[in-house]
Amino acid sequence: MAKILIVEDEKAINNLIRKNLEAVGHDCVSVFDGEAVFDALEKQEFDLILLDIMLPKLDGFEVIEHLGDAEIPVIFLTARGSVDDRVRGLKLGADDYITKPFHILELQARVEAVLRRAQKADKSFELGDVRVDLSGRKVYFKGRAVDFTPQEYALIEAFIRNRNIALSRDKLLEIAWGYEFGGDTRTVDAHISRIRKKLQWENVIKTVYKLGYRLEAKK
Amino acid sequence: MKLKTFLATYLLFLAVLFACFAIVSAFLVDTQVNMHMERSAAEYQRIAVSLSRDILVLHGISQNLVEDINALLNSYMEHYARADVTLALTVLSPEEGHANIGALVSFVRHGGEYFIEVNGVLPEPFGFFRLDYLLNITDAMAAMNRIQNILLFVCMGFAALTALILYVILNRIFRPLGFVSRVSRKIAGGDYDERIAVRGKNELAAMAEDFNSMADEIQAQMQILKDEADAKQQFVDNIAHELRTPLTSIFGYAEYMQKIAPVDAEMIESMQYIMDEAGHMQNISNSLLTLATLRGYEAARAEIPVGQLFEDIRHSLRSLKNVNFVFVAEIDTIFGQEDLIKSLLLNLCTNAANAGGTAVTVRAAPRGENAVLSVTDNGCGIPKESLAKIFEPFERVDKARNRQAGGAGLGLTLCARIAEAHGAVIQMESTVGIGTRVEVILEGKNYEDWGNH
Repeated sequence: MAKILIVEDEKAINNLIRKNLEAVGHDCVSVFDGEAVFDALEKQEFDLILLDIMLPKLDGFEVIEHLGDAEIPVIFLTARGSVDDRVRGLKLGADDYITKPFHILELQARVEAVLRRAQKADKSFELGDVRVDLSGRKVYFKGRAVDFTPQEYALIEAFIRNRNIALSRDKLLEIAWGYEFGGDTRTVDAHISRIRKKLQWENVIKTVYKLGYRLEAKK
Repeated sequence: MKLKTFLATYLLFLAVLFACFAIVSAFLVDTQVNMHMERSAAEYQRIAVSLSRDILVLHGISQNLVEDINALLNSYMEHYARADVTLALTVLSPEEGHANIGALVSFVRHGGEYFIEVNGVLPEPFGFFRLDYLLNITDAMAAMNRIQNILLFVCMGFAALTALILYVILNRIFRPLGFVSRVSRKIAGGDYDERIAVRGKNELAAMAEDFNSMADEIQAQMQILKDEADAKQQFVDNIAHELRTPLTSIFGYAEYMQKIAPVDAEMIESMQYIMDEAGHMQNISNSLLTLATLRGYEAARAEIPVGQLFEDIRHSLRSLKNVNFVFVAEIDTIFGQEDLIKSLLLNLCTNAANAGGTAVTVRAAPRGENAVLSVTDNGCGIPKESLAKIFEPFERVDKARNRQAGGAGLGLTLCARIAEAHGAVIQMESTVGIGTRVEVILEGKNYEDWGNH
């Protein structure tokens, strides 16, 4: 769980990003112009800033220059496909960029990657009797270690990182087995039923009609 | 071209030079030989006369005439040998005759040596003596040859010098041409700033000037094309951006609804966003379509009663409750296409309200022959640097394009197109902090006065 500042002047997009990040357990604050960034930073500390480029008052480039050596990771949000903008952003010290329109999973993955690099990512996850040690890659049920195959662990990690988001069978197949694996999506179903059994998660990993599975972990 | 000119000129020069050389040297040889022949003929005559006189004297006193004549001849021969002359005296048989033929002079070449030969007989009564005279002129001819060689050498020197001078001159003449072709290549390569430095007033300078004006024209045309292409590119980039923002929301909220089963309230909120953004896209596409339709369109003008027009507009603006709209009609009717004029005034009024205007005056007034529609507000105003491009598509004063403050940025472009369709002039004056005034001047006698009613 990280504290994330969202700087985006489009109310709709700002709200959308906040909802997506809150779904996986992040704590978000929304601001709508460049100057408000510094007011928000005075009030509290953040682990990450998502920064739009075209902003009223101060644009994203100016904001990142003013941030100086505040050492908060920054991800640029840009509607422009311009390579120049990306290069300029990265040169100014942005850690990554996300182009609009974006997919939920892409947003989560980039946020997760930057947080992990900054040592701000969650190191463990707990839900009911289940505890997952994300740095040691171990799963505990009622305090006892449970045997997980590498594929099963990859699946449960994907569910935890993207909790409350429905993941398609194809996506899960790609995450746990890689692109090259030509396997059937029924392999995914078999693995998931095994995970459910091991952790008594029949009602936690929900089947989403016509889509896939979702780990439900509401706050 | 340069090489051809060089070769042609040079060959012509060489031909003339060596023809002259050939003529002069032939003339010199000829003169030399003729001179020797004449001199030899005269000398021969002198020898013949003197010899015959001596023989006559000997004839009177000599005992052994043949010996004496031989001795006489030897002394002559000795004397003339010093002058490279060989003499021979022979006695002709009676058959060969005493014919006193004149001396025969000829030029003979024999074994690499040159001779003048004179053949004849002594004067009477010694016509039976034949006298042969042979003058060796090899040395003189050799001297002549040396002179010829020197002449040839000088000619060749001249030829070489001429080649050099010709080369330099041609280079000078052709230098501007080389320059022109270099500059042409540069221009062809896209370096449109290149020009030729013009010097002097000759044909080449005139050509350079023409070339430069051609380059100016090309550069100007290229600039126009480039500007047009840039404007189009800008337009396309803007459309892409304007569409991507609502698309991000639509896609994002749909995905949110699909993958993160939200509670009902969130579901409804998401749907609202999707509908709002879709509506925004529709506005953009409608405006673009209208703009496209209005391109080159001429308004279908009819009488528009100003009072009714203003009433319609007031009705359309009724939702803007915190803006005080004042309508002033100083003329009764104007001529124009009603829906377009209404759309224009509505756009201007909405802009005035969006600029934070609280008091907006809409006025229809006469100005000379013309009718003027104006919208004046007391809003935030527009900075000078933005005024110049204000009628261009997607141009917004607020660079962040905050859509809460306005539409797609096409409203004023639409107004400009509508004015254009009416052959009208649209003008905007604005002071930051005081307000903005937009005037549409409908030209021509296209209004009617209050007084006419």
